[in-house]
Amino acid sequence: MTVTVLRRAAELLLVLVALSVLVFLLTSLAPGDPAEEILRRGGIQPTARSVAALRAELGLDRPLFTRYLRWLLDVLQGDLGRSYTDRSPVAAEIFSRVPATLRLAGAAALIAVVLAVLASVRAAFRPRALDSRAIAFVTVAIAGVPPYIVGILLISVVSVGLRMLPTGGADSPGAVVLPALTLGLAGAATLLRLLRADLVQALRMPFVKLATAKGMGSRRAIMVHALRVAAPNAITAAGTVLAELLAGAVVVETLFSWPGVGQLAVSAIRQRDLPVVQAYVLVIAVAAVLLLALTELCLAAADPRMRRR
Amino acid sequence: MRRRVAIMLVALLGVLLAGCGGPQPPGRDGRQLTLAAPRDLVAGPEDPYYTHQTLRVWEPLVTVDDKLRPVPALATGWDSADQGRRWTFTLRDGVRFSDGTPLTAESVVANIERFLRIAPRQSAFFSLDAGMEAAYGKLGDVRAEGGKVTFDLDQPVADLPSRLAGFYSMVQSPKAFTSSGEFAGKPVGTGPYTLVSWVKGQQAELAANPHYYGTAPAYRKIVVRVIPDANARIAALRAGEVDGLIDKGAVLPGQVAAVAGDRGFRVVRSPSVLTHYLTFNASREPFSDPRLREAADLAIDRQAIAGKLLAGTAGPGAGFLSPVFGDLADPSSTARYDPGRARELVTAAGAPATPVSILISSAETGQFPYTDIAEVLRAALEQAGLPAKVTVAEATKSVMEAGDYDIFLSAYSVPNGDPDYLFRRFLRSDASWNVERRLGYRSTEFDGLVDQAAAETDPGRRRDLYHRIQRLLAGDRPMIPLAYQDNPIVTTSKVGGVAQNVAYVVDLGKLAPLR
Repeated sequence: MTVTVLRRAAELLLVLVALSVLVFLLTSLAPGDPAEEILRRGGIQPTARSVAALRAELGLDRPLFTRYLRWLLDVLQGDLGRSYTDRSPVAAEIFSRVPATLRLAGAAALIAVVLAVLASVRAAFRPRALDSRAIAFVTVAIAGVPPYIVGILLISVVSVGLRMLPTGGADSPGAVVLPALTLGLAGAATLLRLLRADLVQALRMPFVKLATAKGMGSRRAIMVHALRVAAPNAITAAGTVLAELLAGAVVVETLFSWPGVGQLAVSAIRQRDLPVVQAYVLVIAVAAVLLLALTELCLAAADPRMRRR
Repeated sequence: MRRRVAIMLVALLGVLLAGCGGPQPPGRDGRQLTLAAPRDLVAGPEDPYYTHQTLRVWEPLVTVDDKLRPVPALATGWDSADQGRRWTFTLRDGVRFSDGTPLTAESVVANIERFLRIAPRQSAFFSLDAGMEAAYGKLGDVRAEGGKVTFDLDQPVADLPSRLAGFYSMVQSPKAFTSSGEFAGKPVGTGPYTLVSWVKGQQAELAANPHYYGTAPAYRKIVVRVIPDANARIAALRAGEVDGLIDKGAVLPGQVAAVAGDRGFRVVRSPSVLTHYLTFNASREPFSDPRLREAADLAIDRQAIAGKLLAGTAGPGAGFLSPVFGDLADPSSTARYDPGRARELVTAAGAPATPVSILISSAETGQFPYTDIAEVLRAALEQAGLPAKVTVAEATKSVMEAGDYDIFLSAYSVPNGDPDYLFRRFLRSDASWNVERRLGYRSTEFDGLVDQAAAETDPGRRRDLYHRIQRLLAGDRPMIPLAYQDNPIVTTSKVGGVAQNVAYVVDLGKLAPLR
């Protein structure tokens, strides 16, 4: 197990270095001149002299490789630079918003997992029942509709129609419900499809059939045996879904004015605030890589076959 | 099992809904107001102004009316002498900053000196850059003299009050700044409101300023929330969470009809400084041929674009300067729509073999229906015999600098009522827009007229010069106005006193509950 962890750690380091290059290049080579974009706020055409001065101030006139090295050194010291737009430190801004995003992603993950497990167990019990078919239909439907549309529908019905929950913001405790539901439904749809297929397959396995033949109730067969067989795939899927939730929060956070990192990223992209965009992509990418690594470790712990590789 | 699943689902729902008794209705006592804006109207201590003018935390010396004319704010009047080389501003009496200290001529001078010290500086609102240069570029000396503020200029400027109007003549207490010109704490201004608290990107809370010199505002407290998504803003209004939507782009053109049809809401539609222009690339074929620029101009049904695509939130473009410029806008300019003549011109000049490229920026498609407008333009050009295609680009600057476009659709605003800014920055032969973006417009007559108008101090002669410039542009067509954009804002019908000037400034101090 220790060897597995060490080898994974070494691999991880390589991935992270490659990631840093990618993040830097993708954001720096994006077309458009940030200096001019910043000065064009309010729709006013800036003077060439001011653009040149700002380019120099932001270090945009230096060679790309020099910029990358400086950026990497700063990042390693925890300095993610200063925002182009309001010159505030980016690291503080991002990390002050991380809790909100985690809260939203956590609530969404809870909804996704609970809904997916309940619905897939139900579908495994009675695959031909009307509600199982309805669940399958709704799953496909939700998976096909973009979260933005789901969110707008939820707002129209729950907030505007019923006036039960706020349309956005994070002031009241109920504010998390709608964005979490919007994100969670999408996650639930993905998880559910995987889990249901695995459960149905597990129920057909010889040892489950044997247990049933020996008189074990179908409830115990599903809850104890089949679910455990289906677990590894579900854990992998859950890791991916969680990473998707973190990234998918971009759209949902903006729609619901949720003060997380996703909303910050959207406004930064609009304003060409490169340091913020870089920091966001870096933080999310590192989080996703770590999450997937953690998933693999969980799998290795749960399933001995995974360790012999 | 079925029952257990049902119980678990209900329990989950219960947990989710726990603690949410629904949103608080705003302004229950009628003395508090909640508004929402698409962006944060507070930019923070690193910004040269800290807050937007709309919040009425600080006030300028001069502001503009609905015709972009300079009108008194903290200055009650002004005089010019020596043919526009010396300007003297008289200050309002009995004005105090929100910290209780009186407004003096010295404090105004301190603010101007601070601007000059920290420029160029980016801002969320108006960069201390091009507009700032227009305002203070010819300044020799500014000083306090007998309770008045005197500007000595190196060259005559006919319209200094116009150039200073708004952000560039902001006055805050000198104690609000450190010696290097940074904000020491919260902004300290003379307006009806003070900034009480601010959560970046979420909301700002304003309270009535006890030291305000004018009539105390009707609302004791105003909360301005930031709701970036256009649909979510309307939903918040409909759900009764906010009493109004303000600021640039508060209500998108496509949303106006739906809100205006509801009795509970009042839409205020006022003209803005924003104009949609078409820029021609005349440095290459086909639009290097003036006949084809004219054909493109005549082929466009501006009435339909303004009325249908922009849903009546815009007026058809005619003269280069929009009606918000008042008498400086050329009254003789009219938008002509003559597809027959356009076809004749194309036939005479010869249609290009390859389609002309209509360029739009993806950054602007979210706010205005540019994709639809570009498609309509494409169809109109093709009907006139000019094959066309639409190109959406993320970074239009690099595309234009490479000269790889024929028509560029984009919206521009002006920082103040000074038309010299537009002509000098965009179209003069040495203008960065003209040169770098390959407009290919070279006219010594135009350059001469622009310089002449800028130096002209007689208002009548200056106006005539600007009319001549616009007539010249109407014939040369380096850039043509497509539509003059209004900025619709909306409040519930319980809020009165809603007015917006052309620069999107809503006077929060004048809002009052209606009986």
